[in-house]
Amino acid sequence: MNYMIIIDLQKQDWKKIFRAKGFYKSLSVKLLMGFMGVYFASIFLFLGFFLGDILNEVSETLKPLEVFNGATLYMLLAALTIRFFMQQLNTVNLPAFQSLPVKRSTLVNFLLLKPAFSFGNYMTLLVIIPFAVKSVFAYYTGAIALRFVLNFILLIWFDMWIAAYLKRRFGSSLLTLPVILIVLGGLAALEYFKVFSLFEVSRQFFNLLIFNPAGLLLTAAAAGLAYVLNLWFFSRNYYPEKFNEKLKLNDSRVTGGFSFLDRFGVTGELISLQIRLIFRHKRTKSLVYMSAIFLAYGLLFYNSPMYKDQPGWLFFCAMFMTGILMLMYGQWVFSWESSYFDSILTKNIPVKTYMNANFYLLVAFNIISFVLTTPYFFFGTKIIYLHLAAFLFNTGVNIFLLLFFGSFNIKRVDLNARSSFNYQGTTYKSFLIVMPIMFLPMIIVGIISAFAPMNVALAVLAAMGLLGIIFREPLLRLCVNQFNKRKYLMAEGFRDKA
Amino acid sequence: MIQISNLSKIYSDVTVLNIDSLTIPQGESFGLVGNNGAGKTTLFRLILDLIPANSGEVMLDNAPVARRDEWKSLVGSFLDEGFLIDFLTPEEYFKFVGKLYNKSEGDIALFLEGMKDFFNDEILGDKKLIRDLSKGNQKKVGIAAALISDPKILILDEPFTALDPSSQIRLKRLLNELQEKDHVTMLISSHDLNHVTEVCKRTVVLEKGKIVRDIQTGEDTLKELESYFAV
Repeated sequence: MNYMIIIDLQKQDWKKIFRAKGFYKSLSVKLLMGFMGVYFASIFLFLGFFLGDILNEVSETLKPLEVFNGATLYMLLAALTIRFFMQQLNTVNLPAFQSLPVKRSTLVNFLLLKPAFSFGNYMTLLVIIPFAVKSVFAYYTGAIALRFVLNFILLIWFDMWIAAYLKRRFGSSLLTLPVILIVLGGLAALEYFKVFSLFEVSRQFFNLLIFNPAGLLLTAAAAGLAYVLNLWFFSRNYYPEKFNEKLKLNDSRVTGGFSFLDRFGVTGELISLQIRLIFRHKRTKSLVYMSAIFLAYGLLFYNSPMYKDQPGWLFFCAMFMTGILMLMYGQWVFSWESSYFDSILTKNIPVKTYMNANFYLLVAFNIISFVLTTPYFFFGTKIIYLHLAAFLFNTGVNIFLLLFFGSFNIKRVDLNARSSFNYQGTTYKSFLIVMPIMFLPMIIVGIISAFAPMNVALAVLAAMGLLGIIFREPLLRLCVNQFNKRKYLMAEGFRDKA
Repeated sequence: MIQISNLSKIYSDVTVLNIDSLTIPQGESFGLVGNNGAGKTTLFRLILDLIPANSGEVMLDNAPVARRDEWKSLVGSFLDEGFLIDFLTPEEYFKFVGKLYNKSEGDIALFLEGMKDFFNDEILGDKKLIRDLSKGNQKKVGIAAALISDPKILILDEPFTALDPSSQIRLKRLLNELQEKDHVTMLISSHDLNHVTEVCKRTVVLEKGKIVRDIQTGEDTLKELESYFAV
């Protein structure tokens, strides 16, 4: 009886997706997302098939499975961190069920089991299963390979429920991210300097689990415990206010006044309004977390010998990192404010002032990202030039492109929608805007550096950026004219809640 | 104060608004009534330059509004929740709007003090966000924010709906005061004929985008309107 209702609820949930307004509308976006899904799935499968070979290279003495087991605790922690910050807590439309004879415990169980039915949680199996077939079965027995896969699924569940519990219990605030990153960094450093090896602990522990037929019971118990922890949380917090968590306004540090912005008059007011917008919505906050994670992009790129002699790619990476906040937020510039766009248009805000505010906000984002990426300067003077040129180009060229073409986004952005990987409000136009910004400079650098030293290419792009900064007034006026032409279409699109 | 000439708005071949000429002098309180789809909100949006006209123009203070900024400092308006910034607390919102019109913190505090009656102790002081307020309280916040700038022209779309009876009476009192003391030019739409005749000196009836009645409010106005709308 109980589980029947849960199945019904799950069906309703799927219907909600397929019957959502606009599900059939933006086919182009869906196709693109579909292609991306296939693309990533094939990369995962590919990785799965060759993971064994890769791990063989990592260690000469250890078998691939043992290396994998050694890395498992790290993966668990990393996945937990990502889930803690990115994963939206599941909620249920409680009032609709409260009047029906559905037991509360059924609803709670549904809430907790829901993510277990979500395909996204099992994407990693695309790596794990080929690896198990190719590299576990080959060295050991089929039973061990099977246990390895089952163990991994149980670990996914464990992570999923522990993250949900931690999030329900502690909520997520911006401050916890650096703390967690420091802890993870610390563990990695201890490992690196051979003080304490979490790898060794993890390897022996999971070896024991997988080679021992009863080992699975321990993982299952851990997953069960995580589940019970959630149940316990809900029994302690009976009322739905705790169920569907709400923003509490006691955090005046990020939400209160920004008195230093006062002296910039209306421009300052508009900027501080947008900062509050960012910190009071999950969708925008997760954008900030994502940006922080992307700042590590350079570790992959700058260390890789593959890209060492690829100036175009190097510049792409530099531009991406030093402009990450600008790119993430700026691709929906104006649209973020769609819910009160009529207010922007009718209150005493001259369009030029509004444009200036957006310009300086994006400049501030660029400065922040630039400063945060300065540690990469230790990679050599080349990186310094690269980042400076990228910063100038972002500020002097890309911002104006975003402000000019931003007025083509006329779909309402729902700030209260699901937070991470949210494509609500995305149309093919959003991609059309971002594509040239991402790839054009890379191509320019590639072409110039084919004939001249890379620094010449960088100088050209830096000069373009400088010109943009010097001529910002006429450029901004151009954006204002464009905005004035498009504002009726934007306002109309933003009013449409569908 | 407000001059409208040859104004028309067409949505996919249907003319939703067509006004040859309409002048609203300074200090007049102008009521707009009409059934759903008569074009009331369209007219307000055209005056506020939120939608482009297919022909004609709107002039405020002898300057056209379309794609201009100058008129914005004269006008206070509240049409719908698209005028509210719902992730702010009411205080933050009032402060934000006040600052746009160069009001000091002192001015804003003084203004809110004057609104205390209208707010009925429900809006200020809580740390609630606007999106968590009831519809009626959201409306009060929107109306107050339209007034914070001491506007010369006030435009309100359906200000009485969603308000409780006491608040409706308080709002009427407030609007009448603004007319008498500050000679604010007012444009107010309503479905409730009573409210319009009580607040406005002039009442205009729109039907299918056209002005069909233009009445100076007198003793018989309510009856005349009621007989017009009678089915």
